[in-house]
Amino acid sequence: MDDLKKLIKSAKKDFENCKTLTELDNAKSQYIGKSGFVTEAMRGLSKLSNEEKPKVGAFINEIKQSIELLLNNRKDDIQKQAMLSNLQSEYIDVTLPGLKQSQGSLHPITLTMRRIENIFHSIGFDLATGPEIEDDYHNFTALNIPESHPARAMHDTFYIDKNHVLRTHTSPVQVRYMKDNRPPLKVISPGRVYRVDSDATHSPMFHQVEGLWVDTDVNFANLKGVAQDFLQKFFEDHDLTIRFRPSFFPFTEPSAEIDMSWNGGWLEIGGCGMVHPEVLKQVNINTEEFQGFAFGLGVERLAMLKYNINDLRPFFTNDLRFLKQFGGQ
Amino acid sequence: MQFSKTWLQDFFDKSIDKINLDEVLTMAGLEVDSVQDLSSLSKLIVVGEIVGIEKHPDADRLNICKVDVGLDKQLQIVCGAPNAREGIKVPCALVGAKLPAFEIKKAKLRGVESNGMLCSAKELGINEDAEGLYEMSLTKKVGQPIIDALSLDDEIYTLSLTPNRADCLSMIGVAREVSAFTQLPLKNIKNQLLNENFTLNQKVKIIEKKSCPRYCGIQIKNIDNKATLPVWILQNLERGGITSINPVVDITNYVLLEMGQPLHAFNQTNIYGVISVRKAKKNETLKLLNEQNIKLKEGELIIADEKGPLALAGVMGGESSSINQDSTEIFIESAYFNPIDIAGIARSYGLNTDSSHRFERGVDFENTKNALQRATSLIIEFCGGECSNILDIEDNLPPREPIELRTQKISAIMGVSLKDNDVKSILDKLNLSYIEKKSKFLITPPSFRFDLSIEEDLVEEIIRVYGYDNIPASIPINKAKMLESPNNKKSIHSIKSSLINLGYNEVVSYSFTNKETEEKLHSNKDVIELQNPIASQMNVMRSRIWGSHIETLIYNLNRGQNQVRIFEVAPVYKRNKSNFKETLMLSGLVYGDYIPEQWSNKKREINFFDIKGDIEIISSNTLSINTPNNDIPDAFHPGEVAELISKVPVGWLGQLHPALQQKYELSGKTYLFEIEMESLINLQDLDIKLPTKFSPIRRDISIVVDKDIQVGNIISEVKSKAIDRIIDFYPFDIYQGDGIENNKKSIAFLILMQDTYKTLEDEEVNKIVDQVLEILQNKFKAKLR
Repeated sequence: MDDLKKLIKSAKKDFENCKTLTELDNAKSQYIGKSGFVTEAMRGLSKLSNEEKPKVGAFINEIKQSIELLLNNRKDDIQKQAMLSNLQSEYIDVTLPGLKQSQGSLHPITLTMRRIENIFHSIGFDLATGPEIEDDYHNFTALNIPESHPARAMHDTFYIDKNHVLRTHTSPVQVRYMKDNRPPLKVISPGRVYRVDSDATHSPMFHQVEGLWVDTDVNFANLKGVAQDFLQKFFEDHDLTIRFRPSFFPFTEPSAEIDMSWNGGWLEIGGCGMVHPEVLKQVNINTEEFQGFAFGLGVERLAMLKYNINDLRPFFTNDLRFLKQFGGQ
Repeated sequence: MQFSKTWLQDFFDKSIDKINLDEVLTMAGLEVDSVQDLSSLSKLIVVGEIVGIEKHPDADRLNICKVDVGLDKQLQIVCGAPNAREGIKVPCALVGAKLPAFEIKKAKLRGVESNGMLCSAKELGINEDAEGLYEMSLTKKVGQPIIDALSLDDEIYTLSLTPNRADCLSMIGVAREVSAFTQLPLKNIKNQLLNENFTLNQKVKIIEKKSCPRYCGIQIKNIDNKATLPVWILQNLERGGITSINPVVDITNYVLLEMGQPLHAFNQTNIYGVISVRKAKKNETLKLLNEQNIKLKEGELIIADEKGPLALAGVMGGESSSINQDSTEIFIESAYFNPIDIAGIARSYGLNTDSSHRFERGVDFENTKNALQRATSLIIEFCGGECSNILDIEDNLPPREPIELRTQKISAIMGVSLKDNDVKSILDKLNLSYIEKKSKFLITPPSFRFDLSIEEDLVEEIIRVYGYDNIPASIPINKAKMLESPNNKKSIHSIKSSLINLGYNEVVSYSFTNKETEEKLHSNKDVIELQNPIASQMNVMRSRIWGSHIETLIYNLNRGQNQVRIFEVAPVYKRNKSNFKETLMLSGLVYGDYIPEQWSNKKREINFFDIKGDIEIISSNTLSINTPNNDIPDAFHPGEVAELISKVPVGWLGQLHPALQQKYELSGKTYLFEIEMESLINLQDLDIKLPTKFSPIRRDISIVVDKDIQVGNIISEVKSKAIDRIIDFYPFDIYQGDGIENNKKSIAFLILMQDTYKTLEDEEVNKIVDQVLEILQNKFKAKLR
């Protein structure tokens, strides 16, 4: 019996000396293998009396289980050790840059238009678009700018033929929208517009967002409210204030320039006014029942202020070094 | 409109110094473009007299002047002005003086020392148009600072007036506005009565009565047109931006600025017979005052005598009847022309005169005679002479219909509730007379306000005086109706987002291109040309965006970029019979490496299938991208181009033609694509199937077919048969070379099969594979490898 107890001690020692699973396997065979000590001891049972047999047998089994436990523990240890050393050798340099396609980006004008659209969308403005090669009627006449009106000279129009121009503003979309939809209506129309003008601060093509709200009771004070609310949300500045300055557009009456507070002064940011009754009449809206306001904002101007860019030209030269900076937006 | 503040002061008894003029004008709707404070000019700019002059030895155009500025020593100053000569007195900026644009320093000009600068009115900021040295009266004291010598304690205001405010194209008009907004009363100016010395004998016949509803004229004899006008006239003119010519012209210009009425003085001796206001006939010509010879267009309104045209009515006089310093007998015209008949005419000759600018916008027709009286009395006062009675022909003047203004309407538009008394007080401030009747006012607009014709115009007047600043910013009450949200449309934004995730940069370029690009690159022969392009390279509307893409590519390659992946979403323009068609297009260009050079991945050039894959992703595989059925655009390599179909053709993808690649000097392959946005936006209805719990089974087959057979056709053939339980079928390897005949290729396909209700048995799988093989053998003569 004592021999068998010694056996546990010796197995423990042998197993601990094993460094690999193969060594452990060899060591194991000495104890519980086919010709191992424990197996031998089991065989010796036959020589014992019937009384002793169950006692000794149970004891040997206990020993066997103890050795197996030792073996399994050691096996786990060796495996853990092996994984630990593997993990150490499998080190990668995680500071290397990730593998990827190049940085894509949206154009700042798109980002700005999207922002404008989202803000107006939040109070239920619909979105409308219209043609850029526009007929004389929609670009001018329907907007109360008859032929030979000096206001036409304000527009520096590109002509395609006698009857077609490149739209000088997105206001014609208003007219088209009002023809197809009955009030009450709220809509903005973003898009490209064109003027014969090109220098550091003017581009022959630029972007405008025109807004229109027609209902039974929207008024000039509301226009001021909407303009100010929009600019506060756009620039995320709740202290931003605006100023209306009397102005003139043939398609609004009264009309105003919108100035906003900026760096201690005023900055012109758009034009607006109450839709001229003549424009409403053109689309058969009863001016005693409905009234409305319209406003126009320059997208490039807003983008320049938002991104602190003091030159108009980079918007159209498409230098990737400029554009990629908007990649995260 | 430009004027000096001291002139404006003349219209008021009380000082206008206390008001913030800039602010008052701005909030009245008269935009202040600039305010030039003349008193801020340096004290180091003094009156100097040129006492000696000699040519610069090394420069033809330069003179070396000896200038007396009241110091012990005369200054040597090099000057390039053509009117520099001995004896004149001019502003002299001493060393250290700051001019609006720069500071004067001691300098050497072509080797000759120069100790100051002799100045023009432009350099001093007094008059933008005046070139040459500013010649001052010889009575000025040498050495005196010019701000004193020229009474420059003044400000010059430049207004940028909107076309509706023609009434403010005069001093009286501006003063009227200032008075309405400040309550400073206007000075009472009395009209001097003329002493008629003889009876007018110039006959005038108005043929175009509708175009010329009022015409006044007067004859003046024995004038001295060499006389010197008083400083106040010259100074006000100069600071109003008008260059002095001769006394009579200066006075007519003075009255133009003062009262807004354009006048024209004819040399009486060069008028033959009756003056008529008529339409130009065919082939008539006129040499204008500015020496421009114009061929009059039939029907244009002119002033003529019996010999022919004298003046382009309301725009500019003719040279033959113009007056000069020697003129002694003159005929002055003061007319009211109908704006419609003058509009656009000046512009058609490249002109914009002070006269046409006002007539186009509307001139006060009740001032026609007054202005003539005013000018005549000034001429007689300063140039002597005698005048005739005034001719005044009047017919068809614009009717002034009373406009009804309702207090309730004002409040409704304004969003602020006003009372009748508020309205009355504002109408009084505006000097608008009215008849009041139960919250309604009947107002007849004055003859100088062409912009007041409907109720809303008057509402604006009320709000203007009430103060745009006093209108609250109030948030409207919104009817909470929700917007439609169509489920079968994808947003453009989401398509763009997919592209940027694939590494594309969005660009925005001009919609213009040139004819060559349009014809040769865009394959469009029926170009849309602009009548007035900004440059010859931008004279056509683009029918495709590729030309702009290639420009962007070259621009970026020249700046060190070597991988370019760009797209733009913009309309393209085509003719459609007599009309135009605009299509919103997604267009792109890819050039250079497939991915940027980085530490692990192998470098390789972009190829067709990289981009085809991108398009498949953004279109969710809804497009067929196959061999073209239609004419291939010239832009493409004929062997590497595919047409995009979504029921109908919607776009192209391909490699830029090597000849074009060479032409644009591009060293690498360039790929272009375009897709009509419409085909990407419209979504198909979804038919969602729940996944089964059974795993799909994969079988690979490898077949050999003729080299020319297109894989796309094999796939669509198999898919079109819709064999039950095949859920996918696609190639995973293509091989040509050893072991395969020369004119053949081997393709390995993967067949993925699945049954909704059970695991497929081998036998069933084999049956499906056999079905596929049979199709391939029958249709493509494929052999199993």
